[in-house]
Amino acid sequence: MPRWGMAVDLDRCNGCAACVVACHAENNISTVGADEAARGRAKHWLRIERYWEGEFPDVRLTFRPVLCQHCDNAPCEPVCPTYASHHTEDGLNAQVYNRCIGTRYCANACPYNVRFFDFFNPSWDKPLHLQLNPDVSLREAGVMEKCTFCVQRIQAAGTQASAEEREVQDGEIQPACVQSCPSKALVFGDLDDPGSRVSQLSRSPRGSKLLEDVGTRPKITYLARQSQA
Amino acid sequence: MDRRSFIKLTAVTGTSAALASCGNPENQLIRFVPAEDIVPGIAVWKPGVCPLCQAGCGLTVRVMDADADVVRNGQAGLVRIAAAKKLEGASDHPVNHGGLCARGQAAIQITYHPDRITQPLKRSGDRGSGRFEAISWDDALGDLARRLDALETAGNQRAVAFLTRPGAGFRQTLIDQFVSRFGAPAPVAYELFGDDVQRQANALSFGRHQVQTLDLANTRYLLGFGADFLGTWNSPVAQGAGYGAMRQGRLGVRGVFVQVEARMSQTGANADEWVAARPGTEGVLALGLAHVMMAEKLVPDSAGRAGAIVAGWSDGLVDYAPDRVERSTGVPAARVERLAREFAATRPAAAIVGGPPLAHSNGLFTALAVNALNALVGSVDQPGGMSFMPQLDTVAAAGLTGSPARQTIERFAADALSGRPAPDVVFIDGVNPVFTAPPAWRVREALDQAAFVVSFGSFLDETSVLADLVLPDHSFLESWSEAVPEAGAGVAVASVAPPVMRPLYDTRATGDVLLDIGRRLRRPLELPWQTFDEMLAASFSALPSATADADAWTDAQAKGVWSGPLPPRLARQTGLASPARRTFSFEAPRFDGDAQQYPFHFLPYPSTAFLDGSLAHLPWLQEMPDPLTSAMWSSWIEINPATAARLRIGDGDVVEVASSQGALQAAAVITPGIAPDVVAMPMGQGHRTFTRYASGRGVNPIEIVAAVTEPATGALAWAATRVRVSRLGPPDSRLVRFAGGMREETEERR
Repeated sequence: MPRWGMAVDLDRCNGCAACVVACHAENNISTVGADEAARGRAKHWLRIERYWEGEFPDVRLTFRPVLCQHCDNAPCEPVCPTYASHHTEDGLNAQVYNRCIGTRYCANACPYNVRFFDFFNPSWDKPLHLQLNPDVSLREAGVMEKCTFCVQRIQAAGTQASAEEREVQDGEIQPACVQSCPSKALVFGDLDDPGSRVSQLSRSPRGSKLLEDVGTRPKITYLARQSQA
Repeated sequence: MDRRSFIKLTAVTGTSAALASCGNPENQLIRFVPAEDIVPGIAVWKPGVCPLCQAGCGLTVRVMDADADVVRNGQAGLVRIAAAKKLEGASDHPVNHGGLCARGQAAIQITYHPDRITQPLKRSGDRGSGRFEAISWDDALGDLARRLDALETAGNQRAVAFLTRPGAGFRQTLIDQFVSRFGAPAPVAYELFGDDVQRQANALSFGRHQVQTLDLANTRYLLGFGADFLGTWNSPVAQGAGYGAMRQGRLGVRGVFVQVEARMSQTGANADEWVAARPGTEGVLALGLAHVMMAEKLVPDSAGRAGAIVAGWSDGLVDYAPDRVERSTGVPAARVERLAREFAATRPAAAIVGGPPLAHSNGLFTALAVNALNALVGSVDQPGGMSFMPQLDTVAAAGLTGSPARQTIERFAADALSGRPAPDVVFIDGVNPVFTAPPAWRVREALDQAAFVVSFGSFLDETSVLADLVLPDHSFLESWSEAVPEAGAGVAVASVAPPVMRPLYDTRATGDVLLDIGRRLRRPLELPWQTFDEMLAASFSALPSATADADAWTDAQAKGVWSGPLPPRLARQTGLASPARRTFSFEAPRFDGDAQQYPFHFLPYPSTAFLDGSLAHLPWLQEMPDPLTSAMWSSWIEINPATAARLRIGDGDVVEVASSQGALQAAAVITPGIAPDVVAMPMGQGHRTFTRYASGRGVNPIEIVAAVTEPATGALAWAATRVRVSRLGPPDSRLVRFAGGMREETEERR
């Protein structure tokens, strides 16, 4: 059984936000409009964070794409009274929308701020609905939604591979953010396969986990941005 | 109740509930027979071409079944169509290598936009009122042909104007043919953030009137002058791919990146070293580096023609000694010397300029200075340097002759307003100059002089709302699409793709419409094709085939792209007939507005989301947090913290920005990445009319930009306006940020 994870090379990432829109397009994430966005209700399963250092003119900025870290020791899971937030066998922090009753305990427990509550039923001004991805279910009002590592793509690749009686190849599965990234900053794959690109990158001396000290054991490794030697 | 009867009961009530909803005729489910063969639930992938900028990235479009609302014979119902679902970058495309930027991802919303124009329209109210009525294609085209015939009868063919985007694709070539065969003046091309100055400089320095391609993947030292090459400039996906490889694609080698600019762009934010130079003095810094390199004998002195046209080059650029450079640019002399030594010591190295440094009255000099610097370090036509990509000559490929000419929109407007001659019929394709040109050019007033304005737009924007006739184009997914990029790859590239899906509405491909009009005229234009795809077929058939299995046209359609070596007769000739006879030296940039009265430089910059504003109608891009500020759905003005403190402006406060041209109000974003004497504002918002998502939102910075131009090209010097800034009041609802107190703040403060 694979254990899915990701490596994010902050030395390649340049903050272009292609991944942010790719995620919306793939996962049927509805836009909420300016008024609701001002109330903090916009949903971005993946966001670009900025870390400013220094004062003018010696300013330095580092971008960091932040999405669900798919923690091995996820604080969102034990707090869910309905097991909507749970751990799958292949290591995803999954959210079963039909089980979710909207307590939002998981969002309170998550240190990464990557869970989003649906305050409304999703709506698309027709015919924008024609773009919807039929492989991803729509979330109704009152449930939490979050990054799934594009589980629909993981499953499709698994089905395809088993139909062809073979294993899923490394690099065969690309979540939407990984696929869109122009500078190839994001790498997805099986952490339990020591030969996979993501495992190799995760062992890099530049690697670290986000908020490692809180003990969540994230499956996303950030490779530090380097400085001029 | 036992289990069995419970299930029976729910089955009955469920059915009756479903039946009850059929009582309302509006909810009647009419399903029409699909017009195409579709296997439900099975995705098909088709090639496409991204239409949003000049880069010409290749797409792979996921197509699946979907239920579309349609009206057939007056009966509303549903029909299953094969619909585009998701745009991905084409993995083997020589420009984008599988990547696709945020804007490209959102392009699908153009096709499915709820405010698309679905059929030909004729103006029914006052011009600009936005009141239109339906008209049939036949009546519309017949009416238009009669007007053109009348002009021809009167011998007044020059009263036709065609406003379009710059570019060298087949659509432009068809437009050129249309206007020249009719006898009209050359098309008017306008793009606010265009590269005319760059091309002109490259023509003077290197004999190539073309934007350069960078081999970032092999560069070890990149010196950028203002070019937002990872965000909005030139071919950002190609450059993003190169950037990733430059940083981490080579074992043990990490390319260094230094960026010179007065406001930190998304690209500059990635620099190892960020150097703030005074606006309009970037060329001085470039020559200052060259001076140090020559004075210290770090490189051979020769920079060929690129050096020879810089005044004082043969004397070692004595006017650009580090202390003088410091006085001019504000960059310390010691830093100039250090950067010069680093730049000279690392091979391969490349310099690049674009964007704000060229948007000054002395922009041509700045571009020439950076070109000379490139020639000095030997980066021209070298791996890890800059080069000029061979470009397909679409005129030659189509079996035609002639070289396309273009007028500037400033000249068009001035001529129209002075009545020599007043335009009679004005065509508008793919441009919105009423929104993107400075008010002093009076484009709107010029269009008011025209008797008849025809737009091919899919949306009512500030320019197409003035039209008397709207002949809506298909979306790029519904028609043949093509692009002939001038930069971004090592070999010649021509992207082309058949329609991905059937048209949703009663629209027509503009290329086909132009050919149709040409046939309807009393003196037909005798264009050699019936449809636009015939033109593409004839042109691509002239290309050498990339594979042995198929001819070039078949192969290109299947892959979505043709690329390879070009026979000389099909390569665009970009050289100059004769080199420049003069030399260029630094002239202080000319600014609009007195420095006492207007103490700040005003920098309107291309928005990561909307470029020049042409994408503000896409909700995904409106709700995409800006990478540097996390702002969504908003306009804002960026101010240095020290300046803000002095003016007692707090983050989010409402401020007024005033130039000699007018004043705007926007929320302040206080950021360290901007010089204290510069304020910056993204383009894109401030549309008066541009669909439900963009209309009436934010402000348009171009409204306070003065009409200063770069004299050699006539390009707008959009960074040459000075402004004053004052606080109006506390924060209100106009600035929306994703990070606003909830999401990122806690993380950032750790």
